[in-house]
Amino acid sequence: MSKKKLTVAVTGLNNTDNPGPGVPVIRGLKDSKDFDVRIIGLVYENLEPGIYMEGLCDRIFQIPYPSAGSDDLIVRIEQIHQQEKIDVMIPNFDAELFSFMKNEQRLLDKGIHTFLPSLKQFQEREKDQLAKYGEKYGVKVPESINLSSVGQISDMEDKFDYPVMVKGQFYDAYKANNEEQVKQAFYKISAKWGFPVIVQEFVQGTEVNVIALGDGKGNTIAAVPMRKQYITDKGKAWGGITLGDEKMMDLTRMLIQKTLWKGGMELELIKTNGGEYYLIEINPRIPAWVYLAVGAGQNIPDALIKLALGRDVKPMTEYKIGKMFVRYSYDVIVDLEKFAAISMNKEI
Amino acid sequence: MKITEEIKISDNGFVFNSKTGDSFNLNPFGLELIKQIAEDKDFASTRDGILEKYDIDDLTIEKDYYEFYALLKHHQIIAQGDPLDFN
Repeated sequence: MSKKKLTVAVTGLNNTDNPGPGVPVIRGLKDSKDFDVRIIGLVYENLEPGIYMEGLCDRIFQIPYPSAGSDDLIVRIEQIHQQEKIDVMIPNFDAELFSFMKNEQRLLDKGIHTFLPSLKQFQEREKDQLAKYGEKYGVKVPESINLSSVGQISDMEDKFDYPVMVKGQFYDAYKANNEEQVKQAFYKISAKWGFPVIVQEFVQGTEVNVIALGDGKGNTIAAVPMRKQYITDKGKAWGGITLGDEKMMDLTRMLIQKTLWKGGMELELIKTNGGEYYLIEINPRIPAWVYLAVGAGQNIPDALIKLALGRDVKPMTEYKIGKMFVRYSYDVIVDLEKFAAISMNKEI
Repeated sequence: MKITEEIKISDNGFVFNSKTGDSFNLNPFGLELIKQIAEDKDFASTRDGILEKYDIDDLTIEKDYYEFYALLKHHQIIAQGDPLDFN
């Protein structure tokens, strides 16, 4: 049977030491048994490595940052769509999700399918809302406090002992061992990601993660738990291994069922030495280690585009335990013409 | 005492805990010991087998065996039973 041709637009081609999920998402799509995908890479910066990786994208377009305004971004997507006829769009950054969720219907009217959480689902799992989330859905979460000024650090000290985790609303997290380190992290994070800056109680244990896909009706279509084996100084996984942990799977299925989660997600958990699980973060999108799930037997990007197109997808329950990924860095040699084209024409 | 079901032991001495993701390297003697434990052999029969095979005294075997056993427990390779039951 011949594969159905499909044009998929993907963001997050920044395969740096703080990698976006775009490149592994594309690798998953290219492994699809049902689709012959044509990839439109959407980039914010002209040095995102995915632009220069041979055989990855068929076309590349630069798009404006969401901070320039949702409308500018969506208008640009519509312009690209006129040329390229995008069937499915997979946004991969937390910061751009709001614009795409808000304009879901507008894009669909033009023929661009997405598969994203609702605004309510997106907002209730935000880091500054996590305590409420834990209470509502019966999950243990670390205590937290939202800071809008350094003056509130003393309030925080009344509540927590050091060390604490200082986090930005979208990205960045620093472990702080004293007031001075909290201040430094506060200034760094607030300058980059705005307010509030979230301070979380530090939970001692092993960080474990689950990548999952919910169909929006309460079903878990895919779920693979992983433990980071090698963590960079930015806290990113540079190596990881799939686990056979039923407790993590039950927690994931319970959350997806209760919240009717729609789309890709990543649960970040701390497993304490006593075997308890604390939810420290929910990323509302596919994480950068998605290709481990593909390699372990669950092609989440492929399932996501099927769901976006309204197809029925049966839950994938099997995956290989003990599959590992190891990242590496690689120097791609690039001709100046390519760099000039994306810089000047905003497309390749 | 049982080796927990999530533990996989390779013939080359690589031990993997599929629930926690922890892995360990055993030397040939460690591998021999863990295999005996996995077969549910008690200390006395393990000791007798070792005494036949190696030039070693009773006391050293006992000390090494229980030290190794405690390590396996600590790393959750052996199911945690009654804390007062040492074997």
